[in-house]
Amino acid sequence: MNDQAPLRVIGAEIERSDAHVKVTGRARYSYDAARPGMLHAKVLRSTRAHAKVLRVDASAARAMPGVHAVLTGVDLADVPMPVYGYFIKDQPILATDRVRYEGDMVAAVAAETEGQANAALARIVVEYEDLPALPDMEAALAEDAPELFEEAPIGIVPPYGAGSSGALRPRRNVCYSYAYETGDPSVFDECDHVFEDEFRFSRMHHLHLEPFVCLAHWKEGDEIELTTSCQNPFPLRKEIARIFRVPESRIAVHVPFVGGGFGSKNNCKTEPIALMLSRRTGRPVRFCLTMEEGFLTNTQHAAILRLKTGVMADGTLVARQSHVLLDSGAYSDASPLVAEKAGYRVAGPYRYKHISSVCDCVMTNQPPAGPFRGFGGTQATWASDSQIDMIARRLGIDPMEMRMKNLVDLHEPWVPGESGVDSDMREGLDLVAREVGYDRPREANRGVGLSIGFKDGGGVNKPAQARVKVSTNGDVHLMCGTVEIGQGARTALSQVVAEVMDCPLARVEYLPLDTRYTPFDQGTNASSGISVMGQAVERAARSVRQQVLQMAAEELGTEPDKLRLDNWTVIHGNESHALAPMIMGRYGGTGFEFTGDGFHKQPNDHHAPLETKSVFWEIGWAGVDLSVDPETGQVFIHKLVVSGDAGRAIHKLVCRGQDEGAALMGLGQALYERMIHDGTRLVNGEALMYRVPLAEDLPEVFEAITQEQGHGPGPFGAKGMGEGAMLPVASAVANAIEEAVGVRLTELPLTPERVLSALVEAGKA
Amino acid sequence: MTTLSENGKIDIAFTLNGQPVSRATTTSRTLSDLLRDDMDLKGTRVACGRTVCGACSVLVDGFPRAACSTFAFEVEGRSVTTIEGLEAEDGTLDPVQAAFAKKSAFQCGYCTSGMILLARALLAEHQRPDRETIREWISSNICRCTGYQLIIEAVEEAAETMAGKEAAE
Ligand code: FES
Ligand code: FES
Repeated sequence: MNDQAPLRVIGAEIERSDAHVKVTGRARYSYDAARPGMLHAKVLRSTRAHAKVLRVDASAARAMPGVHAVLTGVDLADVPMPVYGYFIKDQPILATDRVRYEGDMVAAVAAETEGQANAALARIVVEYEDLPALPDMEAALAEDAPELFEEAPIGIVPPYGAGSSGALRPRRNVCYSYAYETGDPSVFDECDHVFEDEFRFSRMHHLHLEPFVCLAHWKEGDEIELTTSCQNPFPLRKEIARIFRVPESRIAVHVPFVGGGFGSKNNCKTEPIALMLSRRTGRPVRFCLTMEEGFLTNTQHAAILRLKTGVMADGTLVARQSHVLLDSGAYSDASPLVAEKAGYRVAGPYRYKHISSVCDCVMTNQPPAGPFRGFGGTQATWASDSQIDMIARRLGIDPMEMRMKNLVDLHEPWVPGESGVDSDMREGLDLVAREVGYDRPREANRGVGLSIGFKDGGGVNKPAQARVKVSTNGDVHLMCGTVEIGQGARTALSQVVAEVMDCPLARVEYLPLDTRYTPFDQGTNASSGISVMGQAVERAARSVRQQVLQMAAEELGTEPDKLRLDNWTVIHGNESHALAPMIMGRYGGTGFEFTGDGFHKQPNDHHAPLETKSVFWEIGWAGVDLSVDPETGQVFIHKLVVSGDAGRAIHKLVCRGQDEGAALMGLGQALYERMIHDGTRLVNGEALMYRVPLAEDLPEVFEAITQEQGHGPGPFGAKGMGEGAMLPVASAVANAIEEAVGVRLTELPLTPERVLSALVEAGKA
Repeated sequence: MTTLSENGKIDIAFTLNGQPVSRATTTSRTLSDLLRDDMDLKGTRVACGRTVCGACSVLVDGFPRAACSTFAFEVEGRSVTTIEGLEAEDGTLDPVQAAFAKKSAFQCGYCTSGMILLARALLAEHQRPDRETIREWISSNICRCTGYQLIIEAVEEAAETMAGKEAAE
């Protein structure tokens, strides 16, 4: 490509590169992986929420037909470091002396069939001694609550920059606390009003359709082969190397297509148990969880958020203090990282003189909570942007006007030391307000609500490497560690290469991911595919392009900038020269492959609160037009408009699909979707009882508008997408409900029962 | 004719993607296991395993069925269509497949085989379905990724293509 030429592949109406394999059923997932001689693993799960494990008797299970191996907690003795977790290594591969939630894994069996494995599990006898259970955060934080971990697990606090800090185990049953502060708290004294409000956020399960599943083979000579449905193969490799003390170079992690993850498929899930069983039996072991087990494996964080916001009478925001509690469940998983993000993001997209935020990860006897699309930003936005609306209404100011007044400007650093915001947020708000009919007169019980979700994007301290090589006849190979989980990364990243190499998309092959050969990447998360990996990929492609042009210039006796590429010919003025014969001539008959590497990482910067400046800012705008039936509390959505800013849309339908999918997930969260517990027991942990949005739940009108404001740091001005449109939906719905019927709900989901009881309380039903 | 032996073994014969097949299986074998593990037709996805999500939908005599919860012996004498059976001999995509590809009516793709087969059944029943009808039909399957809009648009597009073809014939 040359810089003046119009783009040919970026933004073009072309099929996704995975379209054919996915519509024909040919796409292969980890779920499909099989090997001759493979065994099947199943685990026994705790029936107690919190108990000492006194005895596990597996002798009868060992004698069952088809059984090749049974593992219990004592077998962890031959594993060098049998615990995992992101910052805090507190989750044992199998429970040893204690179980900490109903569903904790106690024993594992490998058998010829899943049926035999399950039959054997039924013969394992576990003797428990119950301990007081901590079903929720209030119970866990009580003075007399028992510590879920008597001894402090090994953990680290990552380096933070200006204003940020972290602490391990700051108090009883809090595994991690993140704090951020900027500006002088005395500005609260200048405020005309100070408002304090509390919000509650319910927890969802990811409900990715492809289960947690892996196929593990511990081969002779301690060589590990692992195919797994996972979002971050390289960090997973590192965890496995640490747990089993095996060199990373002897571990091959393969990730084929992933059937959805939404955050859940980060770090160890099924892999350590499958590997232990494979080592024990010498056979490949497939370990696939049922959807019911998925509910017990990873969830979103339920949260309680308390905000105190100081404001002038004209609506100018001055200061915000917040305290967020995240229900982390029984093990820390990614909780410290989620806390960091929830705590950091809770100020929202507005300008303040002072921000002070604390976010605690509270351990309870619930399934472990971990990464979930939005990563703390969903919780933060729910509270933050609900409160902005409440304050506006209390002051008698139009909520949209109040937002417009306080939004951080385009290119203005969000907080001191941060990068400038790379979207014009007013432009986006204006757009959705117009589309949703914000100014139109409304009938009784009908309301329109707006909201903005805001998060730093691209991950903290996140490196990505990529490699592009071109064979003699112009076939392009792209090697990078971004997992195709549905987001369209294979397509978009291949499009970037095709654009740079001036070739059709079909010529670019996205090679299978194998940690032995694929360049290093930190993981497919944080909307980093385009914004971080995209930059690495673009650099790799540009390096190859440059080498090719250099070679051609030497062969043609000219300068590289006099040449351009066109589908593996080089164009020099009016002449075109096929590259293959030129390369053969130069390098000898067998040819040559041009190879280029690319790398991207935000530089470390101690002035930035999270140690690197945010790569980009992911913003989601939402406008909701709804009616409330005052007799039933039922909410009817007439129109939902969401918008994200792709910077530049590499593939328009992919961008639209990301926003629509995210927004519908957000709508489910707003209205009904949640994990329901009776004490410590999950009562709706299966597909039938757990309500997710179906096509019939779509709003009457549902629009996702992709903006292309052009300020992104990624290739051709692109930035990340896929999480933003989820963030503002719940708050927009609550804001619209208040406008419709004058009641404010501060607890999710916004069920008819809750709406109705709020109406009754307000004497409006 | 099914023949049942004492040890739960059973022989079944049915039509699979237009071809007659017969298989020795067991009385507890599900159709999804038979297809995926015994016949290596892995395009049928399994997610919930409980007749809820529809990822495993196949057509039995043209009607969508959850293969995860259908016993293999239940398809005795019937005609089963899986995602592998939709392409023409020469690899031409079925109009529904083509529309899903064109509209990017998938993301992770895990629901896609089931959605496409569901849409096939819908279009066999209603040549020009309105949006409401499409919504109703599609509501029997879960897609966690797309938000359904593009799926609905793909079904509309496929209906148009098919109507156009019919008119031309
Ligand atoms: S897998 Fe069969 S319905 Fe869900
Ligand atoms: S495309 Fe992922 S579930 Fe539908």
